Amino acid sequence: MGRELFLKRFLTFFIYVIILRCFYLQIIRFPYYYQLSIKNCIRTIETGIPRGIIYDRNGRILAKDAPSANLVFVPYDLKNAEKVADILSNICNLDKEYLIKKLTKKYINPFDRIILKRDLSTKEISLIEENLYDLPGVFVQEGIKRVYPFGKKTAHLLGYLGEISQSQLEKLKDKGYEMGDYIGQDGIEKEYDEYLRGIPGGIQVEVDALGHQRRVWGKKEGIPGNDIFLTIDATIQEIAYDELGDRKGCVAVMDPRNGEILALVSNPSFDPGNIVFYLDEKRHPEKPFFNRVIKGQYPPGSIFKIITEIAALETGTIKEFDRIECTGVMEVKDRIFHCWKEEGHGWVDINLALPFSCNIFFGTIGMKVGVSKLIEYAKKFELGKPTGIDLPGEASGYIPEPSEADPLNLSIGQGPITTTPIQLLSLISTVANGGNIWQPFILKKIISKKGEILKELQPNLKKTVYIDQEALEILRKGLKNVVEFGTGVRAKVEGLEIAGKTGTAQRAATELELPTHGAFVCYAPFDKPKIAVIVFIDYGSSPQAAEIAGRILKRIFIPEKIEEGNETETEIYDKQI
Amino acid sequence: MRQKLKYMINRFKERDIIFISYILIFFGVIILFSASKGVITKEGFFIKQILWIFIGTIFVYIFKNGDYRSLEKWSYLFYFIILFLLTIVLFKGEGRASRWIGLGWFYFQPSEFAKLVVILTLSSFLSNKDIRRFPVLFLSLIIVGIPFLLVFKQPNLGTAIIFILIFLGISYIAGITRKQLISLFLFAIFISPFIWAIMKDYQRERILTFLNPMRDPLGKGYNLLQSKITIGSGGLIGKGFMKGTQTKLAFLPEYHTDFIFCVIAEEFGFIGVVIFVLLYFYFLNKILEIIHISKTEFGKYVATGIFVMFAGHFLINLGMTLGIFPIVGIPLPFISYGGSSLIVSILSIIILSSIEKYSTLF
Repeated sequence: MGRELFLKRFLTFFIYVIILRCFYLQIIRFPYYYQLSIKNCIRTIETGIPRGIIYDRNGRILAKDAPSANLVFVPYDLKNAEKVADILSNICNLDKEYLIKKLTKKYINPFDRIILKRDLSTKEISLIEENLYDLPGVFVQEGIKRVYPFGKKTAHLLGYLGEISQSQLEKLKDKGYEMGDYIGQDGIEKEYDEYLRGIPGGIQVEVDALGHQRRVWGKKEGIPGNDIFLTIDATIQEIAYDELGDRKGCVAVMDPRNGEILALVSNPSFDPGNIVFYLDEKRHPEKPFFNRVIKGQYPPGSIFKIITEIAALETGTIKEFDRIECTGVMEVKDRIFHCWKEEGHGWVDINLALPFSCNIFFGTIGMKVGVSKLIEYAKKFELGKPTGIDLPGEASGYIPEPSEADPLNLSIGQGPITTTPIQLLSLISTVANGGNIWQPFILKKIISKKGEILKELQPNLKKTVYIDQEALEILRKGLKNVVEFGTGVRAKVEGLEIAGKTGTAQRAATELELPTHGAFVCYAPFDKPKIAVIVFIDYGSSPQAAEIAGRILKRIFIPEKIEEGNETETEIYDKQI
Repeated sequence: MRQKLKYMINRFKERDIIFISYILIFFGVIILFSASKGVITKEGFFIKQILWIFIGTIFVYIFKNGDYRSLEKWSYLFYFIILFLLTIVLFKGEGRASRWIGLGWFYFQPSEFAKLVVILTLSSFLSNKDIRRFPVLFLSLIIVGIPFLLVFKQPNLGTAIIFILIFLGISYIAGITRKQLISLFLFAIFISPFIWAIMKDYQRERILTFLNPMRDPLGKGYNLLQSKITIGSGGLIGKGFMKGTQTKLAFLPEYHTDFIFCVIAEEFGFIGVVIFVLLYFYFLNKILEIIHISKTEFGKYVATGIFVMFAGHFLINLGMTLGIFPIVGIPLPFISYGGSSLIVSILSIIILSSIEKYSTLF
């Protein structure tokens, strides 16, 4: 009997052990194991940061979000990096080395989903899904991509999105930016990133032991950022891009009455939806990201004669009908100074000298005015100084000290002086409106999703320059004649009075052999200016630039009646103004 | 309806061994349903298990009035058949699949049946013999030793351990002396290095992993760690029926066979575990009672062997899922999926029922 009792005691003892063990695991250690079980099967996935929409002045969409599919992987679930890299490099046309590096990197949180490729094609998605069994830890995940309906046409204006860099992260950490975030890297996207950026969305999914998604636990919709309205007119932007065509250069269009930028184009451009391709410097040595309008610094060339003329007339150095003979060449001390026209312009007064852009005439009066006066006037019109346009990375250009400059070269815009195209556009606008220097701007307003206006840029009158009325009249008349019969005659448009000035930018007088840059600034209509344009062409002539400007103005003001009932879009612009 | 309920409660109170087993079987069906994620297919284990229960129930009706004492003569025949089958398994076997013999649509696992056959044979041999005599002890060792080695070689560590327990249990009740036990123990220690030497690598790994489960959390320690997470995360009341995340999402391998207890613990929590363990305890106690009332030595030994078999499975299975015993891979009788195991369990309780009946029929 004792032996049977022993069996019972033996059994009872172990039953106690089991119950105590379960008590320990399920009650005492419950929080620990529960956490582990959650971590095992619940993954939080960020679905991207929705951004606000960017509209032009007429409500046409320039940039918006669209759903996309991204290729992601969870480091924790990855079993065989070599094999996975092999399969993926075939399917997605990715470099195998790059994949292995990315797959085997040590991540702080091995449960995070790391993006390998964005915006997969339908074919790639189906190939990945087919091979999913061989790709533990790899998925196709919904995400957001940025769509730019105008593509290359608005690239420099809007910028592009890119992964936050280490240095950016350090600066922006306090504002809630995180590693791996996609943020604006240039243009409006960068300038107003804080406003455009929304609150990231995410989904919580349950995954199985292979890491494959089983079901969705919870979904937090991302909240898009604020919408932005620009002063840009998409129609004019398109016209400007089309007319510039393949030429390297830039075009900017501004309203001279308030500083609103209507178009801003730089070429060569890039496709903001395919940045990786363009970031490859070897394939794109022409620097497609360079925005010439605000970053290009060139000698203003003959456009500077506007400054020389105002200075000469206001200081009384010359009267309207004082004449100077141009023989095509002039000797000053030991130097020989050429006019661009070898045979010379003969006897010219200021009314003819400007349209013909006579170097001898302006050189002569410039010497009389003096270097310091010319520089004073250049500074008065805010040349060599950032205009303050709301785009990142604006260059300042350079106005030399009186000691550095030579009056002869300076008066025709050559020598160590440099300006940016946007500054010259601002200059011609000031002439057009009679002395007001408006700060160029692109943002009209930022509107939250609820409809409140968060930020609105009003035209900002930086300063008003007093220009002698008589001098202004003479100058404007001269500018009109540039297009009527002068160097800018190719800009002429039937039925539209345009005032403009050509400029040929040269690095320095000694580098005359180098290819020149052709520029043309203008405004129209002459008596009631609404539009100011600058066209700048690398390795081109100023008459070519004038022709482009003319065509742009023509398409803005004199819409082609292509078809009945199909109102050309430019009329929308007229109504707006 | 009410009468039926009353009848059932009465049978439970009367400790009808078959009735209690069927409660456990029913419990198992519910758990397996959850483990099959509610997806029932013809190929799925849930349907197969139901079929095995049905076949087992037919056996119950056929042998309900059978006399266990007739098994005494037949046991030797069974013994040689089973030795033959185990040998076949060993020689045809490749890898780990070598525990089964394919018989058309189902797989037959001789090692499961070997347990019951060894119990019957050893009991038959020891009836009316004195185990304290060395030749008797020696022959007893041979009877258990041959199938033990065949199973161990498969390798099926879990079943081999059950054989040792069966031998210890029956010889203990048969009156083995302390001196004999100690010498057997010393003998075991003496041969254990040889056993270690013929062990398969994965068996050694399992023992080493048991000693230090965190050695390799994604490798050999994975099962144990996941098993503990599964049980621990159940908490007091569990995650709810069909709501276990660990088992459903296949973090825990073999959750429908050896680790079925985890499903109970995860979905029904500590409360469910206590109820289940107490039910099993009630069942095992009933077997102890049958040992006590058995009128024949053969019946007493057989009941002891069956008790040791069930208790051994139960304790080792729970012990390994709870991390207090190495993972040796044995099922939880009545609950785990597996036809051979279920049929052997049902045959065992039919025998127990017969022992109980003939002990009172005088």
